[in-house]
Formats: sequence, C-alpha cells, structure tokens
Amino acid sequence: MPFDPVTLATPAFVVLVIAEMLFVRFTGRGRFEAKDTLASLAMGLGSVVMGAAFAFIFIGFAKLIQPYALFHIGWSWGAAAACFVLDDLRYYLWHRASHRVRWLWADHVNHHSSQHYNLSTALRQPWGGFLALPGVLFVAPLILLGFPLTMIAFVHGLNLVYQFWIHTESIGRFPRWIESVMNTPSHHRVHHATNARYLDANYAGVFIVWDRMFGTFVEETQEDAPRYGIVGQIASFNPLRIALHGWVSLGSDLIRARSLREFAGYLLAPPGWSPDGSRETSDSIKARWADFEAAQTPAE
Amino acid sequence: MNAQLLQLLFSLVAVAAMAGLCAALFGWRDATMPDAGAALGRDIPGFRPGRIAVSGDAKSALIENARDGAIYLAVMRGGDVVTRRLSREVRVSRAGERLTLDLRDFTLKRTRLDLADAAAWETRLKGSA
Repeated sequence: MPFDPVTLATPAFVVLVIAEMLFVRFTGRGRFEAKDTLASLAMGLGSVVMGAAFAFIFIGFAKLIQPYALFHIGWSWGAAAACFVLDDLRYYLWHRASHRVRWLWADHVNHHSSQHYNLSTALRQPWGGFLALPGVLFVAPLILLGFPLTMIAFVHGLNLVYQFWIHTESIGRFPRWIESVMNTPSHHRVHHATNARYLDANYAGVFIVWDRMFGTFVEETQEDAPRYGIVGQIASFNPLRIALHGWVSLGSDLIRARSLREFAGYLLAPPGWSPDGSRETSDSIKARWADFEAAQTPAE
Repeated sequence: MNAQLLQLLFSLVAVAAMAGLCAALFGWRDATMPDAGAALGRDIPGFRPGRIAVSGDAKSALIENARDGAIYLAVMRGGDVVTRRLSREVRVSRAGERLTLDLRDFTLKRTRLDLADAAAWETRLKGSA
C-alpha cells in the first residue's frame, strides 16, 4: 500500500474538530456538547484499538478466498480508481444492510447514537466489528475480481477519510451539480436524522448516485430540520455502554426467542422487528407518519 | 518506547485536549428540562401532551399522551432529552414524594423523580402502564 490514508489524515481530523468547535462557538452554526464529544472521541480511539486487535479476521478471510480470484489485477492508478468506485458501491450495500439487518445494526448503531452532528460524530465508531461477521462478505467480490488486498485497504481508507468532513452542520449546501453526484453534509445529515421522513435514507459513502440509482435518496428540507440520533435515544455517555448497548439488546432478544423463526427474525430482520409486531420498525414509523401527514392535509 | 504505544499515548492526549477545549467552550453541566411535550411532539406523529409532571430537580419528567393515554418518561442527558414510553415491564416504587422507576434498559436503568403528586402517578403507572 502506498500509505495509510486514515493514519495520515488523523492530525487533520484533530485540527478540523478544534476548528469546528471554535466556528460553532462564535457563529452558533452547529452544536457541540463536551460529554458527547468526549464519548465520540473515546469511541473513535477504542475502535482503532479493537480494529487492530481483530484485523486478523478480515485478513484471514481475504487470504482464504484470494486464491479463487478470477483475475490478477496489478497496481496501477487506473485500477485503483476502478477499485475506489467499486469499493464505494460495496460500502453502499454494506451500509444499507447495516441499517436493515439487526445483526449488523447492533454494531453500526454506535455510530448513530449521538444526538449531535459534528465532526466528532464522524469519529464515533463501533468496537464490535468482529462480532458483525457477515460484514466481511461484502468485500468478497472485490477480492474475487482480483484487486490486490493492499489496494482494497487503500481505497477503503480514502473512502473513510472522505466521509469525515461531511459530518457537520456548519456547511450548508453545495452547487446542484456537486449535490447531484457527491455525498455532502446535507445528504449525510438526512442519513443521521431520526425524523420519520428521513429514516433509512442516503446510505452513500462518497457518491450519492448509488442512493439515486437504488431509490433510497431523500433530500434535506428546511421545513423539517434534521434531529439526530436513533429512534430510541441512548441515555449514556459511557463509551462501554455505548459500544455494548446494541449487542446487549440483541443478545437479550435472542435468549428470549421461543423458536428458530423468532431467533432468525431477531437476528436478520430489520431493527425493531418482533414476533408479535408490538415494536416499531423504521417502516412502521414511516407508514404511521405518512398516514398522519395525509390526515392533516385537507382534501382537495 | 514502542511506536504504537507512543501513538496511543499521543491519541489519548489529543482526546483529552479536545474534550477539555470543548468543555471550556460549551460547558459540562446537564441542562434542565425544556418543553418535553414539544420534544415528544416532534418525534411521535399525532402526539398531544396531556398531564405533565416535572421532577423537583428539573432533570426528568412524566408526560401523558392525551391521544392514547400512554405515559412517557423524559430525562435530560447533557443538553438533550431522552424519552421512553413506559410499559408494564417498568417497576415502580415510591417513598414519600420520591418515585423510582426501574427500566429494563441498558443505558437508562433507574430514574428517580421528586413529584408533589407522586402517589397519583404511582397508581397510574402501576394500573394503566
């Protein structure tokens, strides 16, 4: 790998978080809270440590399937560009699954658990990726196409670096041609919002075109300003509780499952699924909101 | 010293510095309860605030949805409100004007509210939750 983009960008992350804090303090454009920021930064640090400790799972899986690659693509900037675009599609698919499959959501929920949306939120990363095992399957197509593992890791790092700066309320909107193609702060604010109209939307990493292509794009509106976090907001700034709450919740449901069908439902159905339908999923919340909106609109 | 250990040490210092700056710029204390009914109204389509009881410390409150009679707990976490719809699984106990709610919730286990009409809320929570 030429270099690790995330390691190289880390000092810039620190400088930009501090710059945004000062900008928000003096302009009021955005929100920070010390306890929340400390929790997010601790989550980021813990994620790096846990990622390094359990990297052998990804590496082992990659080495296992690499001999079955269809082609052997060498290192070139053209190949890296193609790998970058395909990896961004991989990210979209993985990200969408992480919101729609409870097993993956148990890990990814950590990133969404802040009621704030600033650059420190970008660093609020999960610790239990090694438990969300199906996640590694999404990278298999790139390996089987024959892209070098170092190239995949490199473009994945670039993708993560790009996603850092879009976690902010300090930037409004870009010209239409940029907003049409690229993931921007406006599009990603929608993704982090709990407003019913915004749930399960804008999964893109770098290119918002994936959401436009696959029907998951929702535009940010001024009338319904995003409110951030998760549907059942967490009530803790303790990084350990933040890291574990999704897994504890899933684990307690799995233990209570009374049949294989219930077990599979809790594990693989969307977050909020329950055997008797007594809980709310994002689909049911959106449906209820749509009914309410329709009832509020006078008939013509 | 091992380079990775040094990197971890620098990271810890950077995190502490950023959190310290954030506390200096934005404060560290929890806010008091704003209009919790309005907060629920934004999140629950059709929510109509009914009876509301705010705890003496203004850090938590019980709010009724006049639309369906459901009772919600709202607590302050930092500057934000966290709400829970109270179900039968919540254990309710009372000592004088202090109401204690034990929730089966990993991030919100126990909440104490000091309410002038704690007995009435206890009855409601035990009866209709």
